[in-house]
Amino acid sequence: MLLAIDTATPQVGVAVGVDGAVVGRVELARGQRHAEALAPAIDYLLRATGVGLEQLAGIAVGIGPGLFTGLRVGVTTARVMAQVLRVPIVGIASLDLVAYPLRQTPRLLVPALDARRHEVFWAAYRAVPGGLQRVGDYSVGTPAELVAELAAHGEEALLAGDGALRYRSELEAVDRVELAGPEFAAPSAGALIELAHARFEREEFSKPTEIVPLYLRRSDAEIEWDRKPA
Amino acid sequence: MVNAQWAAGELVLGIETSCDETAAAVVADGREIYSSIVSSQVDLHARFGGVVPEIASRAHLELINVVVAEALVEAGCDFGDLHAVAACHGPGLAGALLVGVSAAKAVALCRAIPYVGVNHLEAHLQAAWLDEPELAPPLAVLIASGGHTMIVIVESRGHYRVVGQTVDDAAGEAFDKVARFLGLGYPGGPAIDAVAESGDPGAVRFPRPMAGDGFDFSFSGLKTAVVQFVRRNPDVPVADVAASFQEAVVDVLSTKLFAAAHAAGARTLVLGGGVAANRSLRARVTDLAAAVGHRAYLPGPALCTDNAAMIAATGWFRLHSDGPTPLNGGATPGLRLPVVG
Ligand SMILES: [Zn+2]
Repeated sequence: MLLAIDTATPQVGVAVGVDGAVVGRVELARGQRHAEALAPAIDYLLRATGVGLEQLAGIAVGIGPGLFTGLRVGVTTARVMAQVLRVPIVGIASLDLVAYPLRQTPRLLVPALDARRHEVFWAAYRAVPGGLQRVGDYSVGTPAELVAELAAHGEEALLAGDGALRYRSELEAVDRVELAGPEFAAPSAGALIELAHARFEREEFSKPTEIVPLYLRRSDAEIEWDRKPA
Repeated sequence: MVNAQWAAGELVLGIETSCDETAAAVVADGREIYSSIVSSQVDLHARFGGVVPEIASRAHLELINVVVAEALVEAGCDFGDLHAVAACHGPGLAGALLVGVSAAKAVALCRAIPYVGVNHLEAHLQAAWLDEPELAPPLAVLIASGGHTMIVIVESRGHYRVVGQTVDDAAGEAFDKVARFLGLGYPGGPAIDAVAESGDPGAVRFPRPMAGDGFDFSFSGLKTAVVQFVRRNPDVPVADVAASFQEAVVDVLSTKLFAAAHAAGARTLVLGGGVAANRSLRARVTDLAAAVGHRAYLPGPALCTDNAAMIAATGWFRLHSDGPTPLNGGATPGLRLPVVG
């Protein structure tokens, strides 16, 4: 039995699953209230599914890239739960969790999450037998930079995620680009159960202290510091 | 698992992540400290001359598991022995607070024990009882640190009246800014304290801001006065400037503390917060108290500066007075001290 948590976007997503199948899930798209919503959501889900904490064999968590505030809540909760319950933990990129439910497409698949400050986090994927393969790095940049990358690929692409939806007009102006609907706006907690299950099967898990968010951006102070003339 | 001697005691795990210290502690019955671990991030922030919120938040997340584990190991107990878990939920840096609150709620959820969100300022006030359980109110308490500067009258344990606070910079902030300007490094409090030892506190008469003006403080004008003085008088030794600046701060803090105590009829004075570790301030408050027949109570630096033992002790106190905090409780960066009319 696995517990999955993703808080990389305004959504708070929690799921429990067994053998890669979701037993139950809670996804709250209420925005910016991760610290308030997460613990009660886990508590409710475990009660509603009748899953006891002692049955959990592992914790899976979305590590971003995404909103720093949300990630801190989700990753801290997952790390400390794994520590208290003495179970292993798996961290999976939240962009993978946006892409995974759309893996049947033959097109280039590009999830883009809102990074605020007129930027998005994105990565590109292609379908391979049994799943998805990421082609390129996890990136952060302006919608214009994403547009340039899509144009460079020059092929049919399917975009998903709240970042893609927010900058829809700019992105849809690119040839042969289509956007998935709002139901694919946030990382899927169900996808996290499936992907994490495979990782646990291969025993590719970590200790709680090894799981940190994928920030992709440094703090403003560090950026400013490096800009200063010597 | 737990030692037999503690079987009757209620162990509370406290977690503090409001600023730049990642701390965890185990305290029994709100009184006895079994462990108190503080991991300071000073080195991470030093080159910026102050705490960088995003760096602090990231460091808390990376340190939290290890600090909590150390607190349990040093106390000789396990998560299963805990009666409750408390975390500072404000005031403080938003992202930093969320790490401690999330960690505490995760422990509470996994062990089915109460969670208590603790006010950081109240914890500074309650810290006094950890060293001195017999402390009898009313108390006049000065909390001075990099984040806050206030005088609080403690009417009884749990009942507070804020009678004065800073209108601009906190006292510790003034130390940081002046130390940085004088090239003395970060954090400024210990740096100025050290240099001032060889300086003449009477060398320069800096202004005493808002001296006759109730119990509120203002430190930004004093910082400006130091800057202007040094620009006009570059030859005056740094040690003299530092000592004179420190003298002005100590003068204002101690004078207002005693005036507030007098007005409230409190004969016991207490210091808390990082600035309470300043040797000149401690000496002045001790001397003034002796002169007027008051009692000065100065907890050791480990209890004055940010720590989690004070969070655990306050969590235990609030659990018994108000009950647990619901698991949907968040963090409040601008949280105020709970006061009574
Ligand atoms: Zn403090």
